[in-house]
Amino acid sequence: MRFPLRLPADPPVTFKARLHDARTATAVGRWLGLAFAVCFATGVLSHFFQHPPDWLADRLPSRPYWGYRFTQGLHVISGIAAIPLLLAKLWAVYPRLFAWPPLRSVRHALERASVAVLVAAGVFELFTGLLNTFQWYPWPFSFVPVHFALSWLLIGALMVHLAVKWPEIRSHWTRRSPGTLALPASDGPDRRALLAGVAAAVGAVTLTTAGQSVTALGRLDLFAPRDPAVGPQGLPVNRTAKAAGVTATAVRDWRLSVAGPRPYTLTLDELRALPQYEVTLPIACVEGWSKNARWTGVRVRDLLERAGGGPGTGARVESLEPAGAYRVMEMGREYAQDPLTLLALRLNGEELSPDHGHPARIIAPNRPGVLQTKWVARLEVA
Amino acid sequence: MAYRYAVAGLGLALMGLGGALLVQQPSPWRIALWLAGAVVVHDGLVAPLVIAVAALTGAFGLRLRGVPRAALIVAGSLTAIALPPLLRPGGTANPTVVPLDYLRNWLLTMAAVALAAGLYAGTRAALRGARRRT
Repeated sequence: MRFPLRLPADPPVTFKARLHDARTATAVGRWLGLAFAVCFATGVLSHFFQHPPDWLADRLPSRPYWGYRFTQGLHVISGIAAIPLLLAKLWAVYPRLFAWPPLRSVRHALERASVAVLVAAGVFELFTGLLNTFQWYPWPFSFVPVHFALSWLLIGALMVHLAVKWPEIRSHWTRRSPGTLALPASDGPDRRALLAGVAAAVGAVTLTTAGQSVTALGRLDLFAPRDPAVGPQGLPVNRTAKAAGVTATAVRDWRLSVAGPRPYTLTLDELRALPQYEVTLPIACVEGWSKNARWTGVRVRDLLERAGGGPGTGARVESLEPAGAYRVMEMGREYAQDPLTLLALRLNGEELSPDHGHPARIIAPNRPGVLQTKWVARLEVA
Repeated sequence: MAYRYAVAGLGLALMGLGGALLVQQPSPWRIALWLAGAVVVHDGLVAPLVIAVAALTGAFGLRLRGVPRAALIVAGSLTAIALPPLLRPGGTANPTVVPLDYLRNWLLTMAAVALAAGLYAGTRAALRGARRRT
């Protein structure tokens, strides 16, 4: 299908390349729509796990223990997969940018405005999301709230787009749909080759990055911001002890204080003397990487119970670090009472290294990494 | 028809929610500028670049189709995701952040894509030749 498109200036611009048509847009668009839907759902889920509102905090489930690892891994995987899909989709509809006259009616103006929002939000979300995983922040605003706000704008604009384009989508859904049959039949093999190329690109970007969260693909991890094998004690680190301002002196006279109806303090040796449990739980970062590790320590619920916390209590955890957005962490009831939730002293059979939270850190199932508080100084029945 | 209006209505409501969240940010106009920038960079730079590549190869009598085009799509996509670690300025928070040799990996994947495309096209041509001879 040719697009003889008149631009304001003569002579007319013609897109000679074929396949800028509704069948290509539909075939790529449905995969892009699926990727955006998965990315949106997992992103909203992550948002509530990372910043739970009060009414939700005590209801967040601590199982399955791998839940957050799975959904956040999927968030980043679907976002990266959407990059080639979005580029291909925009390529397919690019000639429409030069539609003439630019605005035919109020309806047409509104439709174009919604597409402009959709394109802007789509490109912006994938761009900021990808750069965030590399901890690169060239923009003058804070990432999390803006990425979150725009995800609603994006998914809303996508729904409007689907509603507007529904007749066209339906008439190009399959190779034998009426709209597809109205296109030149000779384009069929060419289009299938193009779609195969896009599918290969999605496969390539997925395989070379998913290894940061999918253990089986670890060896193919070529472009991800993390290598799960790189880090002290075989585990990557986000915030080092030095960056958090936790010094050797601060740790030397360390005591764990547990507040509640019957407050008490414990030295590290006293903690080691309490019943120890070993659990295998992942560190699952909001940035997408994750890795399982073997943790040994004391059950948080045992510590809370000793301080007089009943079976329905949550916890408030404070870190030694003097500042930082996650210095104080609230832990809902489900997490605090889960037998897998530990105040861990050991990692993969060794004492915690300073960067992994020595002398003691929290490890809980189904939780974002930023809430796995390191260098724990105080535990409070909440 | 009713479904379409319902979906569009819900979409508009969600857009409204997103907009409301956005204007609560400290500098919504700056964000709007970045949003507009995203469109300008794609529509004014990335897309024309792709079309220019196609036009250039066309000028040399090569029509970008089939395997070479697929190879360029794969190579371009891999390059797009390799750009952040390659261009990222400044140091990292610690050695476990952005720890790979991304330049080496990028060169490796480019070579792998070229090799795979060559092998695929070569095998297909050979098969077609064999079929023609029989």
